Amino acid sequence: MSRVSVPCHVKGTVALQVGDVRTSHGRPGVLVIDVTFPNVAPFELQEITFKNYYTAFLSIRVRQHTSMHTPAKWVTCLRDYCLMPDPHSEEGAQEYVSLFKHQSPSMTFPKWLSHPVPCEQPVPLLEGLPDPSRVSSEVQQMWALTEMIRASHTSTRIGRFDVDGCYDLNLLSYT
Amino acid sequence: MLQEESDISLIIAQIVQKLKGSNLYAQLERQAWASLQRPEIKLESLKEDIKEFFKISGWEKKLQNAVYSELSVFPLPSHPAAPPEHLKEPLVYMRKAQGSWEKRILKSLNSMCTELSIPLARKRPAGDQKELLNKWNEMGTDEPDLSLFRPVYAPKDFLEVLINLRNPNYENGDSLSFRTHLGLIQVPLKVKDIPELKECFAELGLNTGQLGIDDSTQVPPELFENEHVRIGQKVLAEQDSAAAQQYIRQGSPTALRAELWALILNISSQPEDILYYEQLKTNVIQHDLLVDSLIYKDVKLTASNDDYYFVFEDYLYQVLLCFSRDTSVLSHFAYNSASPPKSYIRGKLGLEEYAVFYPPNGVIPFHGFSMYVAPLCFLYHEPSKLYQIFREMYVRFFFRLHSISSHPSGIVSLCLLFETLLQTYLPQLFYHLREIGAQPLRISFKWMVRAFSGYLATDQLLLLWDRILGYNSLEILAVLAAAVFAFRAVNLMEVTSLAAAEAVLADLSTLKVMPLLQIFLFATVT
Repeated sequence: MSRVSVPCHVKGTVALQVGDVRTSHGRPGVLVIDVTFPNVAPFELQEITFKNYYTAFLSIRVRQHTSMHTPAKWVTCLRDYCLMPDPHSEEGAQEYVSLFKHQSPSMTFPKWLSHPVPCEQPVPLLEGLPDPSRVSSEVQQMWALTEMIRASHTSTRIGRFDVDGCYDLNLLSYT
Repeated sequence: MLQEESDISLIIAQIVQKLKGSNLYAQLERQAWASLQRPEIKLESLKEDIKEFFKISGWEKKLQNAVYSELSVFPLPSHPAAPPEHLKEPLVYMRKAQGSWEKRILKSLNSMCTELSIPLARKRPAGDQKELLNKWNEMGTDEPDLSLFRPVYAPKDFLEVLINLRNPNYENGDSLSFRTHLGLIQVPLKVKDIPELKECFAELGLNTGQLGIDDSTQVPPELFENEHVRIGQKVLAEQDSAAAQQYIRQGSPTALRAELWALILNISSQPEDILYYEQLKTNVIQHDLLVDSLIYKDVKLTASNDDYYFVFEDYLYQVLLCFSRDTSVLSHFAYNSASPPKSYIRGKLGLEEYAVFYPPNGVIPFHGFSMYVAPLCFLYHEPSKLYQIFREMYVRFFFRLHSISSHPSGIVSLCLLFETLLQTYLPQLFYHLREIGAQPLRISFKWMVRAFSGYLATDQLLLLWDRILGYNSLEILAVLAAAVFAFRAVNLMEVTSLAAAEAVLADLSTLKVMPLLQIFLFATVT
């Protein structure tokens, strides 16, 4: 199944703050980011990918169109999903995150996880290992998809460091 | 496919890709072909029979050890969208700090070149090549004039950089307040506290036998030592890396240590490895590098002056000179926040076809670097094996001690762990030392950067490094540093200056590390 990224417009952050923004000095702990999808036909959202920057908890609300006659309503897909297990330390602070849709075939617009995901650290323990033949076929797909694998080089054992036998160097380069 | 399964597939794919380029892969292929001759291999059940053959002949175990080695060294694959620099170091400000630090080192090296009018690298004249080949085994007898050379940096220069590390997103007030860190390290990395360390280092507990404690002369060997040695021999007979790593958490018997470390690091001296080492030696003979002089100077200043290590002076030159020519070390920069310095062949500045790394292995030695190799000389006497072990120790552990990263075993985390342990469990001592201008990290930093090499007695150091291998982590260095302060707390409370504090902690050669660690973690009232 091929995946395509959906063009979206990410608006600037708005702080949720009680009181006058100009006069009060406190730093709000909650910021809201609006994401819109202008000029796009209805689609099935599979995955949201982003890079975190010191956000501890994430909630996602979606305005969902069910049919022409009922007004669109806001649905909470994700509530307080933990991105940083300890907000006072660096864990998870600048990580790349993907959120996937839960398999739910009946909806045209995917129904997301409706309960918060526990905040324990990832690497979930599996009950047993996956089936090897299934894994190996997925592995083939992974090789095609993963940038990292393609970019990595198999280390050559006896590597040459010179250029045509010459290794005369004067100075190091800063770039 | 579920997220967890796709994660495992990714890890498997990465490991397979890595092993495909290795000697082991070629050997397994050859073995598989050769096994077709065997009567028990049938065409109908070819795959199963060959797998069975590998299991019985011990090849599956070798593969298991190789996979285990990869899992220990390489970080888990990160998110597909993450660029390579994210794998080196996820935090942008740390990457920037490492970049600035590297630039300073490059400038320092360049100015040394221009001041002394010595090239970074040149082809060695034929006469010199012959001379070097002749005295390869006794380079220590050489007394070149190294007075003009100075080490590129010393640990205390590096400490200053770490002290100035700041997270731009972290605000703790403009002025010094109770919320700012009391110690020198100001970045909010996550470090373990004693309850977490107790869980992590469970095998060092009071109820578990340890070499370094339960093998002392007063303890009858039947209680622990004999059985532990017997288990060690069994682990070696099985040739299982994972079992060896678990076993060595309780320490290694002296007679078994060399083999156990080689098993854990997955080093086996194949003819190809000896050949590779000889090739490195040829590279040393052919090209003369400026870093060679830095290595000479470092060995002369440190290891040669050490009562335990001066006998190994010649080995140290051989290993370190070869190390600097080894391009296979470059692959560790994928997960090291540091990057190898770049240069261009003379006269070809800016032309990418003439871009090279300098030195070939990308590692510029600093003052004290040779102390990473010295203790290994007690275990390995064959140069190529000694070399392989050192190289593996470097790309698994030692590189973290002199690069700026957020990794839990990185030097920044170790410093913060040390300071936090001291502040939390010895607050009076910490406060006192701070008041007299003797920030504890200024004293303990040099111990941790060198993994205590040159500070502890050798047998104690090897017991400590057993645990580094056993737990695949350098955190024990920070715990030991705190334990040393705890041990000498009474004397330290009485001093009134940094110099006096340093004097109290100048000589660690009489310390027994395992009792110190055990008491600090498991027997101190918290």
